[in-house]
Amino acid sequence: MTAMPTNHAAVHLEVQLSSIKRDPVLIGLWIALVAVALVWVAPFVFIVFTSLKTPAAVTSTGAFVPPTELAFENYSAAWSRGNFANSFLNSVIITVIKVPLGLFLSAMAAYALAKIRLKITKALLLLVVFGTMIPFQVMLAPLFTLVNSFGLIDTYPGVILPYIAFGVPYQVFILHGFFRGIPKELSEAALIDGANHFTIFRRIFLPVCLPVLAALLILDFVSTWNEFAMALVLLQDQRMWTLPLGLMSFQGQFSSNYGQLNAAIVMTVLPATIVYLIFQRYFVSGLTSGAVKG
Amino acid sequence: MSGLSIGNVKKSFGAVDVIHGVDVEIADGEFAILVGPSGCGKSTLLRMIAGLEDITGGQIRINGRVVNDLQPKDRDIAMVFQNYALYSQMTASQNMGFALELAGAKRPEIDKKVGEAAAILGLQPLLDRKPAQLSGGQRQRVAMGRAIVRDPKVFLFDEPLSNLDAKLRVKMRAEIKALHQRLKTTIVYVTHDQIEAMTMADKIVVLHGGRVEQIGSPLELYDKPRNIFVAGFLGSPAMNFLEGTIEDAANPVLAMTSGSRVKLSRAPANSVNRPLTLGIRPEDIAFGGESGVDAVVKVIEPTGSETHVAVEIDGKELTWVVRERVELAPEQRVKLSFETSKVHFFDQQTQQRLDA
Ligand SMILES: Nc1ncnc2c1ncn2[C@@H]1O[C@H](COP(=O)(O)OP(=O)(O)OP(=O)(O)O)[C@@H](O)[C@H]1O
Ligand SMILES: [Mg+2]
Repeated sequence: MTAMPTNHAAVHLEVQLSSIKRDPVLIGLWIALVAVALVWVAPFVFIVFTSLKTPAAVTSTGAFVPPTELAFENYSAAWSRGNFANSFLNSVIITVIKVPLGLFLSAMAAYALAKIRLKITKALLLLVVFGTMIPFQVMLAPLFTLVNSFGLIDTYPGVILPYIAFGVPYQVFILHGFFRGIPKELSEAALIDGANHFTIFRRIFLPVCLPVLAALLILDFVSTWNEFAMALVLLQDQRMWTLPLGLMSFQGQFSSNYGQLNAAIVMTVLPATIVYLIFQRYFVSGLTSGAVKG
Repeated sequence: MSGLSIGNVKKSFGAVDVIHGVDVEIADGEFAILVGPSGCGKSTLLRMIAGLEDITGGQIRINGRVVNDLQPKDRDIAMVFQNYALYSQMTASQNMGFALELAGAKRPEIDKKVGEAAAILGLQPLLDRKPAQLSGGQRQRVAMGRAIVRDPKVFLFDEPLSNLDAKLRVKMRAEIKALHQRLKTTIVYVTHDQIEAMTMADKIVVLHGGRVEQIGSPLELYDKPRNIFVAGFLGSPAMNFLEGTIEDAANPVLAMTSGSRVKLSRAPANSVNRPLTLGIRPEDIAFGGESGVDAVVKVIEPTGSETHVAVEIDGKELTWVVRERVELAPEQRVKLSFETSKVHFFDQQTQQRLDA
């Protein structure tokens, strides 16, 4: 009998101890996370700081020292001297047309591959998967020849079409997997209710896969906005250049003016960041809510 | 006038034949239940009626019109699925009104019909909820509402209750039956649960391996099963079977292969010395006097209203249902008698019923 209370106390103590003691694995993970975050943020901090420094401050102060007086004139100077008005517009036109159009085409193709039974469905899907495996660098030379023979070098369609062609396969691949997971009864119920395939796609499937679409939209926007190699090959005329190309010429022209160069970089990166911030909450909430259930 | 007529319908998936020529006539307003073991082709047949699967051979008529080549939406049917298949991003009322909306109906008309269906099903307080905010039974009701709103010629149900718990299933069973009595629309209902079939149907179609075993009213099938399969499939606990022969038609006694002898009051024609299977339902077994068959009690399962007793006769296990309170113990020896007017005879070779 007398042993009971001591026993209790021991158990109690143990519980308290374990709540004080943190899981060492968790602590390790946190440290790793902070380290990785620092590595990723460091260049960004460097760029933003430098973009706001006068040429004198750039050479006299350390890279991670905040600017004392803010040199906003770097931005206006970079904008006008780097011909940003032009390349910004080109980037916007190409991205705003390519991203939604490509995503829409991918979603429709994925729906057809997932939900319409045809003899050639398997072969088509295989072709799409094959498309995701080809590195586009391999294709740059043939691509140039092809676009050139269509007379589309230095035109918007000349970039948008190849962009779509290289973007569609992996989007189809991802969306196809997602559509396959949607119970077939859902489309059958809609079929009985009198919906055609396009209505089923638009009214039933698109709303359900909104989170996935948001995720793909972010990824695609960022990668299209920052695309460099293909644009370099297909856009020879300076007036057709996109932002990443504009940035390249910048470096040669103003190699001594790091403030302006970094201001240009910030302006290039900013739109992609904004789009990410707008859509990321759909993306995250969708991932956690289990969109297909119910 | 036939509501639904299925004529020699066949179905193959590639080289695999799943339905081998099924004939069923379902009258206008009838509640027909397709029942059978898993994989027998019930869902496939229903999906062919709905137009979700191609028909490999034969004809399906709805209301006298051949529908083989019609789209699902043009067949004048509505279907309720096992997993409800509600549109998750729409509210209950949008789910129910979707078909009308697609058909181009005006808002007031849609609202009126959805309101009527909701009233029938007691869904009014839930109309603005999304499926994720509804319980299983409520979702099932919304799915039924979606079917009712379309006012179809035929309702198709594919195991609508199998995702619900036992109590709710009994409640929904009664609701669906009441709904049918109220709407008087033809229903084709698929289930593998023979109790559902017995309690709800006007007409039961027993399917087995893609073939029709028997069609009839629940009690017809229960009292006069056409073959051993139907006899064993309907009824719970299932019918008991004993094998043996009758040696003398004038004084019929079943001589079991194992040696026991069961006195009978009648014998089927031409049955002398022919291998027979005798079927006896668990509730048609009773305590017998001195002339009874020897049996050993094995397991006793009281359910409250009745007691299920597993007994062994010559090493063969039978189920016996006792309505009264009895004192029994495992391994106890008892004498049992069979209600001889209620035994069923089947030919062992053909498995078909032999009428006495
Ligand atoms: N798309 C298909 N391709 C090939 N075989 C199929 C297909 N659909 C069904 N089958 C086969 O057809 C047979 C009947 O299937 P069905 O779904 O109609 O069975 P069921 O009677 O509804 O069974 P359950 O009670 O398990 O739902 C099964 O053997 C099944 O394997
Ligand atoms: Mg089934």
